[in-house]
Amino acid sequence: MQATEVVKLLLGIGEPLVGRLLTYDALGMRFREVKLRRDPKCPLCGTAPTIKDLSIHGNGGGACEITSEHHAAVGVAPKAGG
Amino acid sequence: MKTLKEMLAEARQVVPEEGPAELQRRLASGEKLVVIDVRDPDEYRDGHLEAATNISRGFLEFRVGTAVTDPSTPIVLYCQTGLRSMLAAKALKELGYATVINLQGGYQKWVQSGLPVVREVPMTADQIQRYSRHFLLPQVGDKGQKKLLRSKVLLIGAGGLGSPIALYLAAAGVGTLGLMDGDVVDLTNLQRQVLHTTADIGKPKVESGTRTLKALNPEVNVIPLPMRITAANVMDVIRDYDLIVDGSDNFETRYLVNDACFLAGKTNVHGSIFQFEGMATVFAPNEGPCYRCLYPTPPPPGLVPS
Repeated sequence: MQATEVVKLLLGIGEPLVGRLLTYDALGMRFREVKLRRDPKCPLCGTAPTIKDLSIHGNGGGACEITSEHHAAVGVAPKAGG
Repeated sequence: MKTLKEMLAEARQVVPEEGPAELQRRLASGEKLVVIDVRDPDEYRDGHLEAATNISRGFLEFRVGTAVTDPSTPIVLYCQTGLRSMLAAKALKELGYATVINLQGGYQKWVQSGLPVVREVPMTADQIQRYSRHFLLPQVGDKGQKKLLRSKVLLIGAGGLGSPIALYLAAAGVGTLGLMDGDVVDLTNLQRQVLHTTADIGKPKVESGTRTLKALNPEVNVIPLPMRITAANVMDVIRDYDLIVDGSDNFETRYLVNDACFLAGKTNVHGSIFQFEGMATVFAPNEGPCYRCLYPTPPPPGLVPS
């Protein structure tokens, strides 16, 4: 899926997954699409960004600020695995 | 009898002209536009605008319909200096195309303005065979394939996600693939990380990955980057690539790649998995949300297993 998105973006064809999150549940064999909107309060790409460089990542590999903020805003839990 | 000068003057009455900077701005904005290079094929091969389709002046009226399906789509024509295309543009106006613009000064002025051009490198017989199934797809074709061959994609992570993506992109003929991963192959990787083989255990993943990709498609330029991505190296690494693919396996990297791609204006094709679930999306700076719009900060350690 990611590979197909890459080819589409490189060629400028079709509708890329910009602003859409596609989730895949292999056990249920179901795909779901969640519309994503830009968050005006986003610390990076919002209207008043607080992240303007990579300094919050430190120099060693990125120790982000860790908070216990709720992560279910889009109803899809983040996944780290690759 | 009319002189050439008179004919050009007549054409200028009905055909507006725009300079290279104006056309570049239109192209960069993603405006729907058809650019036609009306010079002869050998002139086109020597260098042309990336967006241009070649229909030489002599065939223009016969073939314009294949390049322009909707007559209301704006068309920009150019030739070497802007004279042939001026007369060609008048002919298209007479055929009923609503907006036909002539590139003022033609290809020559475009080049003098320092704007990018591409040279047509003819495909080898092997390439024509290898990519023949792409040529059958109207959305890809010969032009699309050449675009893929010129493209540079950076894969962050040569693991579970990076492996199949790298294989597909190499097979499809993406010209340059940067493969970045600081890990070595472990026996536990092999049940899913299909770039690597049993004989590769203990070797850097970028080394086995490069060998597998080269075996699949020897003409792909694979750049092995045997290192972890860090705040110190990320900007330098992503700079040279058209597109970044995040196939990493931890949140630190995901946020770092997201932030760096946004700051550098690079599109990030994001994917992540956990057990039987996966997700994918594309973060295109200023066109859509970024990873932080979804998840403003990383989850606390231990809450989400990686």
